[in-house]
Amino acid sequence: MVFIQLLINSLIAGAIYALVASGFSLIYATSKFIHFAHGATIAFSAYMLYFFFSMIGLNFGFSVILAIIFAALLGLLMNIIVFKQLRKRKASGIILLIASFALMILLESLILLFFGADVKTIGYIKVAKGLEFLGGIITPLQIFIVVCSFVLLGLLFLFMKKTKIGKAMRAVSDNKDVAEIVGISSERIYNWAFIIGSAIAGIGGILISLEQNLSPTMGTGLMIKGFTGAIIGGIGSVPGAILGSFLLGLVENFGIWYLPSGYKDAIAFVLLFLFLLFKPNGILGIKKGGDK
Amino acid sequence: MIQAYFIHLLILIGIYIILAISLQLSLGFTGLLNIGHIAFFAIGAYTAALLTLNGVPFIIAFLLAGIFATISGFLLSIPTRKLKGDYLALATIAFTFVVYAIALNWTKLTRGPLGLPGIPRPSLFGISFSSNFSFFILTLIIVLITYLIIKKITISPFGKVLEAIRDDELAIKVLGKNTFKMKSYALAISAFFAGIAGSLYAHYINYIDPSSFTLMQLIPILVIVIVGGLASLRGTIIATIVLILLPEALRFIGMPSAILGPMRQIIYALILILILIYKPKGFYGKVELE
Repeated sequence: MVFIQLLINSLIAGAIYALVASGFSLIYATSKFIHFAHGATIAFSAYMLYFFFSMIGLNFGFSVILAIIFAALLGLLMNIIVFKQLRKRKASGIILLIASFALMILLESLILLFFGADVKTIGYIKVAKGLEFLGGIITPLQIFIVVCSFVLLGLLFLFMKKTKIGKAMRAVSDNKDVAEIVGISSERIYNWAFIIGSAIAGIGGILISLEQNLSPTMGTGLMIKGFTGAIIGGIGSVPGAILGSFLLGLVENFGIWYLPSGYKDAIAFVLLFLFLLFKPNGILGIKKGGDK
Repeated sequence: MIQAYFIHLLILIGIYIILAISLQLSLGFTGLLNIGHIAFFAIGAYTAALLTLNGVPFIIAFLLAGIFATISGFLLSIPTRKLKGDYLALATIAFTFVVYAIALNWTKLTRGPLGLPGIPRPSLFGISFSSNFSFFILTLIIVLITYLIIKKITISPFGKVLEAIRDDELAIKVLGKNTFKMKSYALAISAFFAGIAGSLYAHYINYIDPSSFTLMQLIPILVIVIVGGLASLRGTIIATIVLILLPEALRFIGMPSAILGPMRQIIYALILILILIYKPKGFYGKVELE
């Protein structure tokens, strides 16, 4: 059953993209610029896991927690050291985008410098035999990835709806000036968006590193998939980002029914292109920057 | 030895000057956030390589490299003409990735990751440019022509309209100018010069593969344009010379070449971040990106 297998592959890809896209969308919704270095955060956390677990030999669970904390800290530091300074002198979103692009190159090159270009694997979970599921095959690790992603996305949704910070984030993303008038510090909210968004990206990086090899540029492609998902769903909306990511997973995996598998990435970018042209507000039709 | 190395650097500087001043035309003068410049460079390089490997004379391949890049720039500009700022950046990045994916996967044409070896050095009117010194002279001539043409464009009425579009597109529309058309032309001309830079690069290195055309390769060009200052050709040329030579200093303090590659990117990325924070208009620029 090719159909079921492709459906399963789409689900796995969608689950990972959704993690990347939701973190990216959270940052975009609040601080209104395209955070390229989000991709480097993914690679950074995967390499941190490699460093703590495979190089130093710490306990796996502890290494995972450290890697996530470091990813969140990296996001926070990028915001404080670079983006906050740029906002202070009222730089446009484009300047922040270019700065973020530079940060991405900086981080990827640093990873390359410290860890080298050779293939790294975490190898914590041994490759298990796949389970049969309606004629398709899925490994226990892949089930774990999908479940993890759903739980996290659920938690993020609750966080945005129920907690004080989550509500403040939605207020800032809706209208920063009004939010400031009612006493919400937008700079504080940006910090939180970077911490939470980067932590989610970090978890995404860890999940991927369990299944694939590490490379310094592993995040770049994923980040573009993530923001393709975000744009398809309606940029700046976290539920939209999740919806778009699963859709992207589907299109990509069913697209290679017709095209050689090497074009998988190109399919995603063509889709991004089409949406930018014909429906830049995405499926949910949310106006740029709105989060409802 | 030192002399050969020096000529090599001069050729690289020449190729980067063409890339950077052509990016100035679309990014600096017209304000189009074109992050897909590497894609035009790639299209030019592949066109020139494939044609000359199949026996087409250099001059024809060279012009076709520019023309193919122009056509793709024009085609890219039609659907993206309404996109602004960060959305245009995303679209041009997507374009870079599509071109990269094609170079990597259309193996019948491009040989994919194996790349195209043995690209011949050019010869023109019976003169061969096979030595590095003669190739440098050729590069220098093309740089001069490129500079004169772009300079001419920027001081022409058309160039003034482009700058006005960057500063206030709506006002220019109100004056009855077709801004979409103007922006298309700007991107197409900019792509032409990126294409011929690609041709020079392919003939100089004699070998191309998709890894020379990733998003990473954009960083030196972007740094040059922003450090030099938007819409300043003089600044761009000075910035190219300084920024291409700067990381070479690392070579003289005995840094191994495996570290040199990432170090160069780190230096460029740091310079870019610092300049954006502390000197956003660059050293010779008059405007800031909005």
